[in-house]
Amino acid sequence: MEGPVFVDTSGRRSKVLRRIGLLLGAGCLAYAAVLGAAFMGWGTDLAPSSLLPFGDSARGGPGGLRPAGGYGDPAGRPSGAPTAAPTSDTVPTAAPAAAD
Amino acid sequence: MTTTTSSRGRRRAPSRIERAAGRAAALQKPRVILAALLLLALTSVLLLDGYLRAEVGGDQRVRTGASSSEVPDAVLDGGPILTFRGGRATTVSVPDKTIALTFDDGPDPTWTPRVLAVLEKYDVPGTFFLVGSMVSRYPGVVRDLVRQGNEVGIHTFTHVDLSYQGDARVRREITQTQLALAGAAGITTTLFRAPYSSQTDAIDNYSWPVYRTLGEEGYTSVFVDTDSDDWKRPGVSKIVRWATPEDGEGASVLFHDAGGERSQTIAALPKYIEKMKAKGYTFTTVSGALEEQRGGARAVGGTTGRLQAAHRPATGVTLYEGKALVAAVAVAEWTVPALSVGLVVVGVAVLGRFAMMLVLARRHHRQRNRRRFSWGPAVTRPVSVIVPAYNEKECIAHTLESLARSTHPIEVLVVDDGSTDGTSQIARAAADRLGMRNVRIVRQENVGKPAALNNGVRSARHDIVVMMDGDTVFEPDTVRQLVQPFADPRVGAVAGNAKVGNRDTLIGAWQHIEYVMGFNLDRRMYDLLRCMPTIPGAIGAFRREAVLEAGGMSEDTLAEDTDITIALHRAGWQVVYEEHARAWTEAPGSLKQLWSQRYRWSYGTMQALWKHRGSLTDKGPSGRFGRVGMPLVVLFQVVTPVFAPLIDVFTVYSMVFVDLRAALLAWLAVLGVQLLCAAYAFRLDREMYRYLLMMPLQQLAYRQMMYLVLIHSCVTALTGGRLRWQKLERTGEVGTPAGVGS
Repeated sequence: MEGPVFVDTSGRRSKVLRRIGLLLGAGCLAYAAVLGAAFMGWGTDLAPSSLLPFGDSARGGPGGLRPAGGYGDPAGRPSGAPTAAPTSDTVPTAAPAAAD
Repeated sequence: MTTTTSSRGRRRAPSRIERAAGRAAALQKPRVILAALLLLALTSVLLLDGYLRAEVGGDQRVRTGASSSEVPDAVLDGGPILTFRGGRATTVSVPDKTIALTFDDGPDPTWTPRVLAVLEKYDVPGTFFLVGSMVSRYPGVVRDLVRQGNEVGIHTFTHVDLSYQGDARVRREITQTQLALAGAAGITTTLFRAPYSSQTDAIDNYSWPVYRTLGEEGYTSVFVDTDSDDWKRPGVSKIVRWATPEDGEGASVLFHDAGGERSQTIAALPKYIEKMKAKGYTFTTVSGALEEQRGGARAVGGTTGRLQAAHRPATGVTLYEGKALVAAVAVAEWTVPALSVGLVVVGVAVLGRFAMMLVLARRHHRQRNRRRFSWGPAVTRPVSVIVPAYNEKECIAHTLESLARSTHPIEVLVVDDGSTDGTSQIARAAADRLGMRNVRIVRQENVGKPAALNNGVRSARHDIVVMMDGDTVFEPDTVRQLVQPFADPRVGAVAGNAKVGNRDTLIGAWQHIEYVMGFNLDRRMYDLLRCMPTIPGAIGAFRREAVLEAGGMSEDTLAEDTDITIALHRAGWQVVYEEHARAWTEAPGSLKQLWSQRYRWSYGTMQALWKHRGSLTDKGPSGRFGRVGMPLVVLFQVVTPVFAPLIDVFTVYSMVFVDLRAALLAWLAVLGVQLLCAAYAFRLDREMYRYLLMMPLQQLAYRQMMYLVLIHSCVTALTGGRLRWQKLERTGEVGTPAGVGS
């Protein structure tokens, strides 16, 4: 047997494993980061908030005019995801949203 | 007996090493970082798993009797759909002769698909209020749901009563669920229903702020007109009856598609749908109902878009984060069951090992201590004792003193492995002082312990050689006891009983327990099973011819004692354990030294096992060892230590998420089994029981350490790095010794 068992003097195995180790470590870090962000709800504000473009909602914000893309603002500005084609929800409240 | 740390640590180290290229036993930073990251990921997985499995309970009111003085009357008397258009709370009713089917607590992999099948069959849509934790676990069901044209709303992430929670928690629950939905089906929604809610007249001062906050953010809260109470499982007819509104009114109807046994719901649903259709009702989603009320065209079998008006496509960060969340949940869903399997494996191994040890140890003890027992005619001929020494100036005199008192005729061969502290001179002086005429001092260059032992074996004049360490102390009767088994011609080697001398420190006591319970109990078992993997370097005896035949002590591994023992097995020799031959050794005194020693041992054992892997397929005694001995050794000395920390991991997990007391009791039960075994081992060896007090801590600490040592060794083995004790190149000293007659 050439030299002690397991010893690889060429260092090739070591390089391969180093790469695997890096990938594994990066994966673990990414995993924990994703869970942390998802738990805290970071990265996007998902409030749908009324999207009437006329400042109808209490929070204001021309949500209806916003371009598509959920890359919403950090918390504070209700951007939410974009509307699709105007739906019944954005019909001005002419209809009596009456109780009963 | 005092030793300096340096002599202890370098006792086995040959110096002809290229240190620049070598790696130390010390932990390398990249490995520590990787280990920490893996631990972080594992912790995340377990936390996530516990969080997801928070019980989804029955849909009963949690808070009762609270006042509703601050809730607007219009809301209390209003319809089930609550919006906050322009900051004003407005309610909308479901139009007459219309039913909005709503299903809470889903998705469930068993029941929800069946509900969907019923809805599909009757071509009616429904609105599903989903719990985020379930969405993330069963994203496929949600996709099907949405694709089929049903509407989706949020029912919080963990099915918690929001009226009890602070703002931050409320926000988190909603956001997490939106993310889960984004990842599962690519949408977010504006519909919301709180757990434990019912009709609007049940809104109280505690829940009203929650609805207002969410409403201001744009959520539409949906309540219930008629509650089928199907979760109580009252029977199909009652479910149908309770779900039916009076007088042709429209209604938002509550069913459950998860959270328990829902077969009654599945059975009731078709009946209900048929009954209402017969009365002239149509079915729609919440958004469909909203649209109708606001004067939109009646959505008769309306387009999917209208019925799912509350949905928004998820894009960008939301979508990717959602997908990442769902993927992370999938990883957790696989990891925890896989780890549980590991736990079962180790549980079986630990308990099985203890059972075997108790049975076999008892048998061994009784067999060998029977009055009539004997190995054969007494062995009285002189034997050679080989003492390899490297810088043992403190201990060599004590060692020789103990040998001077030997009751058995011996010749002593001190092999000085190139010491630099005058070990040879001290040994010669001690021998002269003690009047020992049977001591030969052999000097050699510093080439390592295996070479020193080989030198000793070659120079030995007798046919039985005893090998010890330079700092081991024998009792007077040790050698005599040790060599008696050689009366049996099948015996090729004998393992003695190594004892920890420095047992009054914490680490010393731990090792004392380990030696008595682990090593010696194990040795009895392995003796009977004829697969002892290691003869302790501190005290072992060999037939000289057997050693020479096997090629002497090899430098292929760091555990040359394991290597030669396995080689002897493969050659057909029997290796036995002689409990009465006691030797006193000084165990590592600090954690660092212990770590270093165990790292060497575990790496060396793996090397030896791998070197002899051919025995798995051999015939004869070699095959017997390969197919019986090696699997046992691998199971108990590699697999078990690697998985053993799972015991602690799962105990903590269960304590936090499942049941504190039960988990603790289970852990204590395992400890109890180990204590029993240790007590038995101590009894057999007639050691004092008081050291067993250390056991709980020892087991816990050892489990973590052994697992780390093993992983560390495995990684070293995989990367092919060289440890500092391993020589770079072999010299002429090593290998087949010249065949000198005994």
